Amino acid sequence: MFGSPSGGPWDMEGPSSLLSATQTGPLWLANKRESSRDAESDSARDTKTHFRVCRFIMETGVKLGMRSVPVATACVLYHRFFEHGSMRVYEPYLVAMSCVYLAGKVEEQHLRTRDIINVSHRYFNSGSAPLECDKEFWDLRDSVVQCELLILRQLNFHVSFEHPHKYLLHYLLSVKSLVNRHAWSRTPIAETSWALLRDCYHGAMCIHHKPQHIAIATLYLALNSYGVELPVGEKEWWQVLCEYVTKADIDAVISDLLQLYDMEAKCI
Amino acid sequence: MDRDLLRQCLTYHGEALFNKLKCEQTENPDFQAVVSELCKATYESKGEGQGNPLVEQFIARKADILFCPAWKTATVQEEEHEEEEGGEPYAIMPPLELFMEVSYDERRAMLYRDLEKGDIVVGRINNIREYGFFLTLLCVAGGLKRDIEDLELSALCHVREIPSTCSHDDPLSYYQIGDFIRAGVKDIDRYQEKITVSLHQTSLSTSLEHIKLGVITREELPVHYSRSVRAASDSSETYQCILSSCHGYHNPSVVDYLLEKVGVSDTHPPSMMRGLQSKLFQQEDFASAIRKKQSASWALKCVRAGVDHFKHGRHVEAMNEYNKALEIDTNNVEALVARGALYANKGSFLKAITDFELALENCPDHRNAKKYLCQTLVERGQQLEGQEKLVTAEGLYRRALSLDGSNPEAQEALHKITDTIQKSIRLREEALANEQVKAPSKQTTSAEKLRKILKEERRMKKKRKRSASSSSSSSTSSGSSSSSSSRRRSKKKKKKRKRSERGSKRHRRISSRESRKSEEGKREKEKKEKDQDEDEVEWYPAPPNTSATFLNQKGGPGFGERDEGKDAEEKRICQLYSLSAASEDEESDSSRRERKRRGTEDSRTKRRKNSQSRSPEREERRSKSRERRDKSRERRKDNNRRDSDSKRRSSLDENRKRRVSCSSAESGYSRKSSFRSEYSAKSGSALRMRHDSSKRNSFDGGRYENREKEETCELEEVKRVSESREEESSRSDRGHRKRSESAGDRTEHAGVTSVQDERLKKDLPANLLDIFNQIAQFEKKKGAGPKK
Repeated sequence: MFGSPSGGPWDMEGPSSLLSATQTGPLWLANKRESSRDAESDSARDTKTHFRVCRFIMETGVKLGMRSVPVATACVLYHRFFEHGSMRVYEPYLVAMSCVYLAGKVEEQHLRTRDIINVSHRYFNSGSAPLECDKEFWDLRDSVVQCELLILRQLNFHVSFEHPHKYLLHYLLSVKSLVNRHAWSRTPIAETSWALLRDCYHGAMCIHHKPQHIAIATLYLALNSYGVELPVGEKEWWQVLCEYVTKADIDAVISDLLQLYDMEAKCI
Repeated sequence: MDRDLLRQCLTYHGEALFNKLKCEQTENPDFQAVVSELCKATYESKGEGQGNPLVEQFIARKADILFCPAWKTATVQEEEHEEEEGGEPYAIMPPLELFMEVSYDERRAMLYRDLEKGDIVVGRINNIREYGFFLTLLCVAGGLKRDIEDLELSALCHVREIPSTCSHDDPLSYYQIGDFIRAGVKDIDRYQEKITVSLHQTSLSTSLEHIKLGVITREELPVHYSRSVRAASDSSETYQCILSSCHGYHNPSVVDYLLEKVGVSDTHPPSMMRGLQSKLFQQEDFASAIRKKQSASWALKCVRAGVDHFKHGRHVEAMNEYNKALEIDTNNVEALVARGALYANKGSFLKAITDFELALENCPDHRNAKKYLCQTLVERGQQLEGQEKLVTAEGLYRRALSLDGSNPEAQEALHKITDTIQKSIRLREEALANEQVKAPSKQTTSAEKLRKILKEERRMKKKRKRSASSSSSSSTSSGSSSSSSSRRRSKKKKKKRKRSERGSKRHRRISSRESRKSEEGKREKEKKEKDQDEDEVEWYPAPPNTSATFLNQKGGPGFGERDEGKDAEEKRICQLYSLSAASEDEESDSSRRERKRRGTEDSRTKRRKNSQSRSPEREERRSKSRERRDKSRERRKDNNRRDSDSKRRSSLDENRKRRVSCSSAESGYSRKSSFRSEYSAKSGSALRMRHDSSKRNSFDGGRYENREKEETCELEEVKRVSESREEESSRSDRGHRKRSESAGDRTEHAGVTSVQDERLKKDLPANLLDIFNQIAQFEKKKGAGPKK
């Protein structure tokens, strides 16, 4: 019933198929992936798929009214899951839906599976009528719940993460005091850095960098984008915020982040 | 595009960015509009060229987002004073430059650049002169967090700027060197580097006005200052250490709090990804919108299933479906209309009206809802008319007409009821006049003996009848009096007078027993007491459970009366009924109802007799009648029940209310109804009832005052009762009644005797008068009824 917008199959065969996948192995999706893009390297293709799925998580999150932190948790859950799991084994969009559901629980913003399924259904079939309350719906629901358990097991129940959000907000306040208040109020640094931070969850970079580094890098890039200069003392401001961060760390995060923006043009 | 921002950016990044911008934003008309201006900015730039080309590429690509005026969502935040209470919602950090070790000059320049009039500074008094005192500034409170303690900034607070507590005192005498002072910045001379401060609250900017100026204790010093002091003294205290040691940092909702503080929306989060611009998302794709739509569709499915059930006569299943639909989608218009229709079909007009009204509230143009509501209002009005609640009924007709001005039924009904009301007002006036005639004769005690004799006689007769008649006296249990002759009936009428007095006595007794009349004999007292006790049991136990109201139609003594059609009285009551029916319905309807009533009466009386092991030949009739009853239940339910109830009650209360408010007793009806069914078997009530019915009709005109009250009472009551519950309780009650039958019978004897005893004692002449009046009125009504 679902068709992924990119043409990739959105395969939803109900709980039985999922159960068989989790129990007997990687069968239920692998045979569906067509080999049209064989030329591409696997990793590049996977990165693109992950990007799309994360985009799906973000969009779903906004439509579900999720806050930034639960969305971030959902993305981290997703990336951590596919750190080890193969996309040929598990349907990424189903995993994403379950990640959203699980993230809601982890971050105390409980979401209803019905809403998640509704929004996802509409995402894949834009303009379609809402689902009926029939077997198909309940099968979907079962799939999401079963997959949630699968994620939990796969991650060894380590589902709470430290996010850069807290750091970034405190850094913002500290940096704000360094800047003239009129210059600050004129420059949308908070918005930009927050947007950059949210966007960095499109890729696995969000689990490869330290949260403080990500926070500093997004703030750095935001300040840089508007040409805001901070006073310089013995230490740079970012050196103060996080002790061992180096310019190279920041540049690495920024480079990863900018790659994501490049990918956006390629993927969509 | 925000030119100032773009210029600032270009000044920083130089020509490389400008070239990329020109390349990336060629299609952006906004950029083309400002590009010429920006050339200048580019040449002013430092042109360092050490910028990261990737970052520049990014800025150039996203320039339309980054420099869009709408991108900035944060409004200028009011700088609130740091909360110095224990609960800091976020980590309040020392100024960053403390850790950065920014040079003395730069920090000093920054402060003079950024400090503004209206800010709050905290300092220590280092010198007091006759014209004021000098402060060494320690820190800046309010929003601006700066490390200024070592900058040797001093500020003057002029004596004029110190509010004096009393006029003759030197305000400066309150201050000592070393005091911590919180003061507002009054003026900054940036060239001379002089700061003057003030202790007047008015010197503060509006957002800081609530902060009290003056001497503060060490504990009141700003948190960031005390933390920076600690950090300065201990080099191991890094920014990160302090951050993670703060309570505020561990606040679980710190992100939400700070997001609001910095002015970023989390419901419409910003993103630099073009596909995630939340303004592009369709509102109907959001979870709440889909859910709403889905609920409506699911509910509609249930409604459809319910309608299907309904069409096949499975009303319970239909109701379940409708309720399910409303559970899925509260206020689903279709479900409400369908359920309302079902309620109306079942005779629960009030529930039906509620549903229709709710539906119309949500969808004011729903055609069916309007139509059904109109019909139901008319039906309900007719029902009320049957209960003599003419004014309320009239109101309902008027409402129906206001919904649908062309509704012929409503128009007709309204027309009729207006006539009836006028007529009943006339009747009431006559009745009042009659009562005045009767009143004086009440006190006579001369006829007591005669009454006693009569009563004895009647009791004997009754006993005889009860033993003799198994099938002929159908309403044995409900009073054993219905089978009596017309002669006895006249006696009963007399009782009415007595009863009214008795009623008053009982009420007195309820409030205070000792206020009983002394002239009454002891024996009488005893009897009265018995009687009263019985009455109390009958009327006062008051669980407001309405489930039993529905039973009264079956058990209600009102039918017993009508059981014998030959009786003159019976005829009279029938006429009354048909009269009211005629006024509320078409004639055919009234006759139909009459038949139905007959059916229930039969079944009821049969049941009673069965319980007393009488007349087995009625068994089959009973089952038949029950079937009939089921079919026409809703109709009869209310009419019959209320008729009989009101009759009984009015008898009780007539004295208290002086007839005018007979129906006020009905307000108590919901309370009593549950018990009534149990005790309806008692003869006393049946006897009383009969009189009341006649009286009621003659005086209905005087009743409207209380009708409104009753209506609301009933409304509540009806709402509370669910259909299924009615059904259930009726079933259980049937059995219950049988069980209580024997007991009721026993009490019956005692009760009847006492009632009659008393009644007979009371004034005969008054009763006679009464009877004549009533007969006259009935004649009138009979004549008037069909015409209406």
